[in-house]
Amino acid sequence: MIEAVIIAVLALPLATAFGALLARTPRSADAINVAGALATATGALGLAVAGIARADEPAHGGWYVLDAGGGVFLAVIAVIGLLSALASPLQLAGQGRGLVPAARARGLYYLAFHAFWATLLAVPLVDNLALAWVLIEATTGGSALLVAFSGKRSALEAGWKYLVLTTFGLAVALLGIILLYTLAGSGGDLAALDWRSIAAAAPQLPETGALAAFVLIIAGLATKVGWAPVHNWLPDAHSEAPPAVSALLSAALLPSVAFVAWRVLVTLGPALDPGAGSAVFLGFGLLSLALAVPFLWRALPWKRLLAYSSLEHMGVLALGIGFATPLATAGVVAHVAGHALAKSLGFYAATPLLRHVPDANRQPIRGLAAAGPASATAVGVSLGALAALPPSPLFVSELLILLGGLSAGETAVTIIAAALLALGFLGLAHALIEGLVGEPRPHRWRPGRSARQITRLTVVCTAGMLVVTVLACLLPGSEPVELLMRGVG
Amino acid sequence: MIGEPVAVALAAAGLGVVVVRRRSVAIALVAAQSLALGVIAIGDGLGESAATSTAGIALIAKAVALPALLLWVVRHTREPRLIVEERHALTRAVVAAAIMLTLIALVPEVLPDRAAQRCAVALLALGIAIAVLRRAAIFQALGFLVAENGLYVAALAAPGGLPAVIELGLVFDLVVVVVVAAAFSAKIHEHLGTGDTSRLEELRD
Repeated sequence: MIEAVIIAVLALPLATAFGALLARTPRSADAINVAGALATATGALGLAVAGIARADEPAHGGWYVLDAGGGVFLAVIAVIGLLSALASPLQLAGQGRGLVPAARARGLYYLAFHAFWATLLAVPLVDNLALAWVLIEATTGGSALLVAFSGKRSALEAGWKYLVLTTFGLAVALLGIILLYTLAGSGGDLAALDWRSIAAAAPQLPETGALAAFVLIIAGLATKVGWAPVHNWLPDAHSEAPPAVSALLSAALLPSVAFVAWRVLVTLGPALDPGAGSAVFLGFGLLSLALAVPFLWRALPWKRLLAYSSLEHMGVLALGIGFATPLATAGVVAHVAGHALAKSLGFYAATPLLRHVPDANRQPIRGLAAAGPASATAVGVSLGALAALPPSPLFVSELLILLGGLSAGETAVTIIAAALLALGFLGLAHALIEGLVGEPRPHRWRPGRSARQITRLTVVCTAGMLVVTVLACLLPGSEPVELLMRGVG
Repeated sequence: MIGEPVAVALAAAGLGVVVVRRRSVAIALVAAQSLALGVIAIGDGLGESAATSTAGIALIAKAVALPALLLWVVRHTREPRLIVEERHALTRAVVAAAIMLTLIALVPEVLPDRAAQRCAVALLALGIAIAVLRRAAIFQALGFLVAENGLYVAALAAPGGLPAVIELGLVFDLVVVVVVAAAFSAKIHEHLGTGDTSRLEELRD
């Protein structure tokens, strides 16, 4: 039964993609997109709830696993995919010739978008490292086209950089996977790379070989997560992609790849020197924070600022995963959900911004409160939440992760991380004040469809974040977190 | 099994892509490399229908279809003059060889076939070096193929080989990535009048 539902959930966006591609009018393509997205998200959320509710009894099949961790990430991907699908029609309105001719743009956009979403939904569900790699790599082609969708020279540069860097990064990860497959004595059996098989084999693996495989896998996946120093594609791709795609990249793709890296740490970690695996994550985490913070202090265009904020928050996730304590694990779960809602709201706010402020893609936003109240509210909520201003869920999650760091005995790392987070907070707080009440730039705001849509999205995302804040306070010590600590499935 | 001479020849073809001037010659080198690997894989898989079929599909995709696509792009994106590389061919060869040897030294020996592991790591390193050292978009796309050929060598050397479902997944991913890269290459040429990616330097902070 569960396998059938999983297959249906993965097939729905693909059917939607082809339906929208073949639609005769833009209006019918939009309608197919919305209907397909609603059906997909409903099914995926149903699966996610089942995975979390039956945390002590995960569902296993030949190729899938539905456990608490997978359930959390599946829910995040489902919600962000749905919101991005709902935000897409407005973003596409008035789209001229871009990467593809205008007449075919909408259909091809939906084709790439839903194929990308379907692949992302499968990532937390597959019960095999090699299959997870194939899926992660499969996201690259479609998402690179979406990044360059506007067809502008800067978008082509961003899309090309994304394609090249992540493809080579994932090639490095695959070499690590093949080495691990050989070490595990697979004898050609795919099941050797199932999460539970890796965990069972780990204690017997030779340490040097296992370390080499681990480092290659994590370093390769890091290029796709956007962890520094292999993050160069991230600011460009996030700032040049259409807003709904940027949201999906930042709030769904990056965390889902981080989730695969997390599973590698949990399963392969016992083969390594105690603390070696965590040290790799802590290194990526601190470096990502340290590289992101100076950019959060600079006056950057809105989407570029959000992109560097993604680098910061992926760093926080790496720290939480690396600390590997129950408190930090609870923090990671809350951080993934809270960051997804806050960041995607920020990107959705970019649609009216780019439409009404001619240089919004090149200049920082200023004085938005006087010009466009609906966008100002969305920008304020998003930036306030990303800066971890209470009652943002990110305030609770970052606190949990830092406390988790102290309980792991990583005092120095925790202190440095806390200092960097405080500096990041100040940078974002400055951007928030300037963006809302600074000297306004020339604009041509008119109340209309985009203002109404961003108001609705603000309400939904704010309500979602408040729910995540409450849940984050209840997470420490809960059963799903205990099971996440123990491993997979 | 991949013997020492074959491993050296495969790496030499990869190194050739780092230094040759013409895109069509580089495509021919990569196609030859893929063809040699395909023949070895089919030879290894003889007697097992799944392995032979998978190897055949990989051979057709990597040695025939993708090089043909890239050649088609080259024919439709004529460069007004050869792209001037940042570094001389000899410097590129030395840098690529240094990257290759460093990586070979760093990765501990895990695969049972020592020559195959060295060849795999060398080709992966050369693929990355091609992307770093060559400016034309087509060369960077060829870097994907060289790196993937390295992974293919590793997969062939793994005891029992990689399962067919994974190999087919890899071929599918590679086809998608190279097709998208070819589309980008054509679009970049349309915008800039050249496939020189070093001229895409608008995004800076």
